[in-house]
Amino acid sequence: MNNDDDQKNPKNGIDRRDFLKLSAGVAGGMMLSGGVSQLAQAADYPAIGNYPVGIKGSSVFMGIAVPRTGPYSAQGEDEIKGYLLAIDHINKGSSLARAYSPNSHKGVMGKKIEYGIADNQTKPNVAVQAISKFISEHKAMMITGSVSSAVAIAAGKLCDRERTIYLPAISGSNATTGKDCQRYSFRACHFAYTSAKALAPVIKNALGAGKKVAYLTPDYTYGHSVYNSMKQFTEAQGWSTVNNQLPPLGTSDFSTYLLNIANSGADVLVNICFGRDAVISTKQAKQFGLLDKMTLVMPYMAPFFEEEVGADLLQGVYGTTEFWWTLAEKNPMAKEFVADFEKKNGRKPGWSAHIAFLQTMLWARAVESAHTFHPPTVVAEYEKGNKITTDIGDVSWRAADHQLERPVFVIRGKKPSAMRNKADFYDVVEAVPGADVMPPIELFGCKLGSAT
Amino acid sequence: MMLQRLSRYSGGRPWVAELITLIVLLLCPVVLPLVGISADIASRILIWGLFGLGFDILFGYTGLLSFGQAAFFGTGGFVSAFLLTQTGIHGVFLALMIGMLVAMAAGVVVGFFTLRRSGIYFAMITLAFAEMFHFLELSPLSAWTGGENGLTGVPMPIVGFDSWHFQISSGWTLYGYIAAFFLVGYIVAHRIVLSPFGQVLTALRDNTPRALATGHSVRKYKLTAFVIAAGYAGVAGGLLGVLQSYMPPDAVAFHTSGQLVMQSIIGGAGTLFGPLVGAALWLGMQDFLQDIPFIAEAWMLILGIVFVILITAFRQGILGAVKQLVMKTEPATAPHATELSAEISRRTHIKGVPDEHPNQDNIPDHFFRTDTPTTKPDLLIVPKSSTSEGIALACRNLTKHYGGIYANEGITLSIPEGQLRGIIGPNGAGKSTFFKMLAGEVVPTEGQIFLHGADITGLGVTAVSQLGMSKSYQINELFSKLTVEQNLAIPVLARLRGEFRTDMLKSLNQVPGLRQQIEATLDLVNLDQRADIPVTELAYGEKRRLEIGLALASAPNVLLLDEPLAGMSPRERADTVQLLKRIRAGRTLIVVEHDMDAMFELAEYISVLQEGRLLAEGTPEEIKNDKRVQDAYLGGIEEA
Amino acid sequence: MPSLPLFLSQLFNGLATGLLLSLISAGLTIIYGTLGVLNLAHGALFMVGAYAGFMALQWTGSFVIAIFGGMIGSLLVGLVMERVIVRFYYQRPPEDQILVTFGIGIVITELVRLSFGGISKPVPIPSWGEGITRMGFLFYPNYRIEMMVFVAIALLALYLLLYRTRLGMIVRAGIEDSLMVNMLGINVYRIFLLVFGIGAMTAGFAGIVTSPILAVTPDMGEVFLVQSFVVIVIGGVGSFPGAIIGGIIAGEIVSLTSMFSPAYSQVMLFAVMAVLLAVRPQGLFGIEGRE
Repeated sequence: MNNDDDQKNPKNGIDRRDFLKLSAGVAGGMMLSGGVSQLAQAADYPAIGNYPVGIKGSSVFMGIAVPRTGPYSAQGEDEIKGYLLAIDHINKGSSLARAYSPNSHKGVMGKKIEYGIADNQTKPNVAVQAISKFISEHKAMMITGSVSSAVAIAAGKLCDRERTIYLPAISGSNATTGKDCQRYSFRACHFAYTSAKALAPVIKNALGAGKKVAYLTPDYTYGHSVYNSMKQFTEAQGWSTVNNQLPPLGTSDFSTYLLNIANSGADVLVNICFGRDAVISTKQAKQFGLLDKMTLVMPYMAPFFEEEVGADLLQGVYGTTEFWWTLAEKNPMAKEFVADFEKKNGRKPGWSAHIAFLQTMLWARAVESAHTFHPPTVVAEYEKGNKITTDIGDVSWRAADHQLERPVFVIRGKKPSAMRNKADFYDVVEAVPGADVMPPIELFGCKLGSAT
Repeated sequence: MMLQRLSRYSGGRPWVAELITLIVLLLCPVVLPLVGISADIASRILIWGLFGLGFDILFGYTGLLSFGQAAFFGTGGFVSAFLLTQTGIHGVFLALMIGMLVAMAAGVVVGFFTLRRSGIYFAMITLAFAEMFHFLELSPLSAWTGGENGLTGVPMPIVGFDSWHFQISSGWTLYGYIAAFFLVGYIVAHRIVLSPFGQVLTALRDNTPRALATGHSVRKYKLTAFVIAAGYAGVAGGLLGVLQSYMPPDAVAFHTSGQLVMQSIIGGAGTLFGPLVGAALWLGMQDFLQDIPFIAEAWMLILGIVFVILITAFRQGILGAVKQLVMKTEPATAPHATELSAEISRRTHIKGVPDEHPNQDNIPDHFFRTDTPTTKPDLLIVPKSSTSEGIALACRNLTKHYGGIYANEGITLSIPEGQLRGIIGPNGAGKSTFFKMLAGEVVPTEGQIFLHGADITGLGVTAVSQLGMSKSYQINELFSKLTVEQNLAIPVLARLRGEFRTDMLKSLNQVPGLRQQIEATLDLVNLDQRADIPVTELAYGEKRRLEIGLALASAPNVLLLDEPLAGMSPRERADTVQLLKRIRAGRTLIVVEHDMDAMFELAEYISVLQEGRLLAEGTPEEIKNDKRVQDAYLGGIEEA
Repeated sequence: MPSLPLFLSQLFNGLATGLLLSLISAGLTIIYGTLGVLNLAHGALFMVGAYAGFMALQWTGSFVIAIFGGMIGSLLVGLVMERVIVRFYYQRPPEDQILVTFGIGIVITELVRLSFGGISKPVPIPSWGEGITRMGFLFYPNYRIEMMVFVAIALLALYLLLYRTRLGMIVRAGIEDSLMVNMLGINVYRIFLLVFGIGAMTAGFAGIVTSPILAVTPDMGEVFLVQSFVVIVIGGVGSFPGAIIGGIIAGEIVSLTSMFSPAYSQVMLFAVMAVLLAVRPQGLFGIEGRE
């Protein structure tokens, strides 16, 4: 550990030195028993972020900050289950883990993953506090979890400053890998632009030309992103936009907005709300009779939306998703994931659990491939953009904006009578390849910072 | 004795608290890591503490419970973050100062509306205003604030000039930057609460109407305190953005205000450090409890219960309890202190000027303490504002209606300078309303009032007091949480400083004449030995004397006394009668009293009110023998 | 400019949401008017009503029973709250009362969060509330119309209670002069308990009848608490007619502003309050000088 003095990082040197002084006194014994091999390994790279203090022991820490309260809590809880499943597989070195990360044995680089879970309450400030704690106290090597783009962007910025990898789970805003992209952040899910581009031709084919569209858009970055992208692609195919209502996040009574839409003359209602807001707004739209006059489109379908609104309402509703459990029928990796998840949790995974699982696996793979936890090297590994086999097909990271190029699944609500079981809500209408829907790199203004 | 007392309430040894604060702040980076507290947590605690310094001035010292401080926290934070991320301004300090100024400007606007009401109204309206700020931030202003996203990428500060500069980084160096703000914030706040300005704030808190009546412009003081609190909130908000590289939208949310209030109460309001201690406990418990598996979810519940218990049983909070404990142990050192004060007292009294009160010969011995030297300093009397042929106070056709009810009708009076005028009348004769109109507390429906010939109708109680007329109340209106001496300082400060002055950084010792006037008043009302006692511990008669003392201390040349003898024992009554005789010199006294014997003994001239009108006027002899007066009183008795 | 049908629809919607605010604010204002306590736990009692109703619905499947369940639930919580804590606060400064009820509100909310979790509970619209009523241009969900009727009945009941019963006379006299009521030999503390219970029950009733159209979550009451502050500041603290008129005004402001700019609808509510404070600080129906 003597190398740290002459390899000061201008940003983190002092913080970390203080910690080392302390640990020399308090945790000296532990450090000695930590093993010579790790110290030798640590010496290969300059200290940065929590490297190498975060990998001294026999485990590495992964900080999970998800909403467990608030409008997105259902998705947050599902994400936790996905993370726990991934951690379990990685720590056991299961065949599924090795399918993602062929170099893996038990753990990541032989280190068991330990984790902490914090409730970010869907509030960026709470998330940032929890993440600060994971980084400064637990010496986390990876931070993950988000349902709101506002949280993902704030967390990404903080982790970039702290030179710690951050992996958002759900984040639909174009900005996350656009103008707010970060060198240390990597987004694996679909988002506003890819969803809209995948969905627009499908709904045009299904509903016909010249439709008038009204939007219910949650008033923040995610909502605006999806609205702009949907507007762009539907107008490009000859539809017109007649109304856009902007309820704040966490609205409970949508009546004023719905009345405005009801009187707008629209024949398609695009509901961009997510989580609980999506459920409540859709139910209220039904109550106000909107769904009798308009076709509902949910461009960014929230996990569990189907269970909460029920199959009757969902019938014929179009949307996109990151994952749907019937993909298990075509892909052996997805099959194993869905089966194991169901065994542990007694239900099918939502796409929130899937994205959490996928992000953790892709991280383990990147670290194993880089042969180090050294954050800039891991970032460089991600940026190689190699083809990776996953349960949603082949994917690859785009180096310029850290967005995963991946398929987007367009789904449609089934007729209740056509459901094979009580979870069989959707038909996967189309799996649109990632290459077809990715935005041009310069479109959303991503400028990555330095990795060191 | 006086020196010692004043120095105690003007802060004791100067700079000791500041020095200790500095040392503790310096020790934190060394000590806290040993107990597992990170720089991040320590920095957050300091930001809440800084936020709380302003809030404590507003709530703990001025008594204004705002549930809307998040508005200013957010305003300062978003303005600084906006400047640092969206404009060419890169100086963090400059941005923080601009953020503070904008927050203070917002404070002026919000204060203008919210301070129109007090108590629960104030709490509700501040909350509603903060919600308005929240909604503005979220949507209409989202182009500048980022809406739900907040603003990311707030840079780290750089300290220094030109060639010599130092880039602050996260961790303990950033803590140091924030700690410097806290230290300066504390020094300023400490100066403010010990200043004459700060003393007036405590008076507002304890008894707003009386503070108004002693001649302080309550609205200006409240607004200033509100703006100060907004300024502290603004800087704290800006620092939050710097700490996190991110300015969060929920900084403007209701729970930010609520958390601040709870932390201040838990830590102890009115102690300056209370909010900091509350924040430490809050964040510490959050941090600690969230790591314990089964109760992790319940941390907020536990804090809520702690809060309710503290409010119910230990309203003074943690630091308040400590302070009380220290004060209770203080009598252990009393003998020495008494000696010392006696010594000081002897020295000061040597410089005193001889007593000039002509009536002293008539005063029974028991009224004076046996150990008092025969010399005492002069009590100020404010010079008359204008001259009008020796008439101190006059009113013409004074009338007050409440709806259809006439409290007073057509009263015309004229009271010569130096007279002791008695005003009597049966219950319900309208004496109180009449007195309230004279003092400026109630605006007459008709008629005019002249003080030394100048029309003072409708000027209000503060202006009337500043012009040299003050009133003592029938029911004691004291500043309940202050000591006797601190009580007397309030009217003296109004006299010496005018209705409003922002001498926030001065010490009380720098107010010339303050000590002399307090000492003279204490002497006159015979509370010299009780100067350090909180008023709640006074006996009833002592409270009555202090009540009169409050009116006297503002150096009036016209003094209104509303039933000064009410509820007194015979001995207290005799004492007070003598007191009234002694304070006559150089003043015009107008006394409302039920006690006819005392009235006939004291008054030179008596006016009798009945059913809101002037019934009769005359010397005590004439009034005693006036048939109408006898009928009025007898009639009153028969009716009762 | 919005079309006439839209304008009329929003006007009607404003009345519907406004009446709900009136009811919640009426509960808040009669507690304040009688007891002098501003109950910051009122939002929590609203939420307790929704959860108690939800539980009753789970057990019985009947929404009518759920309404009574909600009322009884919040009544009980309210009574316990008054007996155990609030009654010791009648003699304390208003700031202390605000603080303690604020704290109680947090404790109740967190207890519910711990017991039921943070995820919303479903309270479906009762079968007799499904469907839509069409009145020419105007169409409105049946349940919302029925809810308006419920709320109007509750307001009428409160009115009758306050203006047509002996208890109401005492309560109103107490608002004017609690000392006098005390001197008349009336057991004020029992009256206080009763009034607190009625106020809590009002909040609980509002909570359960709105559950089918809102999400039942532990923090569902907060937004209503803040809005009802605005309502009683507009209407005049302690005034029953003020709460009703203030509620309707607030509902209309939010509804009508949203036609032009939904983003400003909440801001407009607070702006109107600010202007009113500048012009008439005691509120529309407030008594001058009363704090």
